Amino acid sequence: MNFTLIFKNNKETRSLANDNTTINDILNDLDLSSETVVAKKNGEIVIEDEKIQDGDEIQLIQIIYGG
Amino acid sequence: MKCGNPKIIIKRKQSGQTLCKSCFVESIQKKAIKTIKQENLIDKGDNVLVALSGGKDSVATLDILNTYKERNIIELCAVTIDEGIANYRNDGVAIAKKHAKRLGIEHKVVSFKYSFDITLDEIMKNPNHRISCSYCGVFRRWIINRAARDFEADKIATGHNLDDEVQAILMNYLEGNIDNLTMIGAKTMSHSPLFRPKIKPLREIPEREIGLYTIAKDLDVHLAGCPYAQESFRGEVSEIIKNLSKNHPTIMYSTLRGFDKIKLALKKEHKHDFQFDTCIKCGEPSSNEICRVCTFLDELGKA
Repeated sequence: MNFTLIFKNNKETRSLANDNTTINDILNDLDLSSETVVAKKNGEIVIEDEKIQDGDEIQLIQIIYGG
Repeated sequence: MKCGNPKIIIKRKQSGQTLCKSCFVESIQKKAIKTIKQENLIDKGDNVLVALSGGKDSVATLDILNTYKERNIIELCAVTIDEGIANYRNDGVAIAKKHAKRLGIEHKVVSFKYSFDITLDEIMKNPNHRISCSYCGVFRRWIINRAARDFEADKIATGHNLDDEVQAILMNYLEGNIDNLTMIGAKTMSHSPLFRPKIKPLREIPEREIGLYTIAKDLDVHLAGCPYAQESFRGEVSEIIKNLSKNHPTIMYSTLRGFDKIKLALKKEHKHDFQFDTCIKCGEPSSNEICRVCTFLDELGKA
């Protein structure tokens, strides 16, 4: 089970740990705060509780930078 | 949930409210319009100059004010400042130009180099430089004020959001800068006729929601961090507020509300009659013989 992650001009395939993996888990993995990022799943904006399924394309857009 | 659409794009921690894309976009527009109405930010027939960096806040401000232009309530124009920051500013300038063209708005780009014969990158190479934000704030205000007069604008609209306002309240309080503290608000007026009132239609909207608004509306924005931002006191204060907000999601709202309540009393107690005159060097309004811009330029050997 894999999903595609797009973040900062990088596109990579990642494996899904389990069926309950959420956007929030990915944000924690990357040490990102949900307060600074907007997530899209298969092109549509989703909240951080959204579950990721096999084959999904997840895009993380950083909207707030330090300072 | 307002309309029943299960495709939620936000769960507001401060209220528990969940919204779909169209209800969220509507809620942001309504919030800004409410601020404009309540604070009396706009009069019919105003020519409003938008300080347009191409970032999410200024693009959202332009987008919302454009609804007033479309209804023939106001005229719009825009100015973009090129501070001269390599690998950063050019993208924002290009996006700003695109939006102005798309909306048919009179627009000009003014650089630090053109105005002061020095870029921010060059300033930061000077061994005796101050922190970057000091120059940026002071130089940008100078350019925006001039642009407002050139455009014959009645108001200057900026994209300051809730996070910016709360940071400014805390920064000025912590630094004991009561003069600056009393200047914070939705509308800033000045006694000098050379200054135009500044308005902040987005001041009650959190920064993240403005970012989400631009993405929800597919507005092209420049999303990047200023390479000099980490040096600032604002950055440190911002970090404190963000950490507090994790367990206290309403803290920014309560800080702003509380400040707005004490502001009148503060202004009354701390009344200053600024004797505005003009700077003997550049002719811009200044409470001192030489304004801050000319003082900084002096230090940089550019006077």
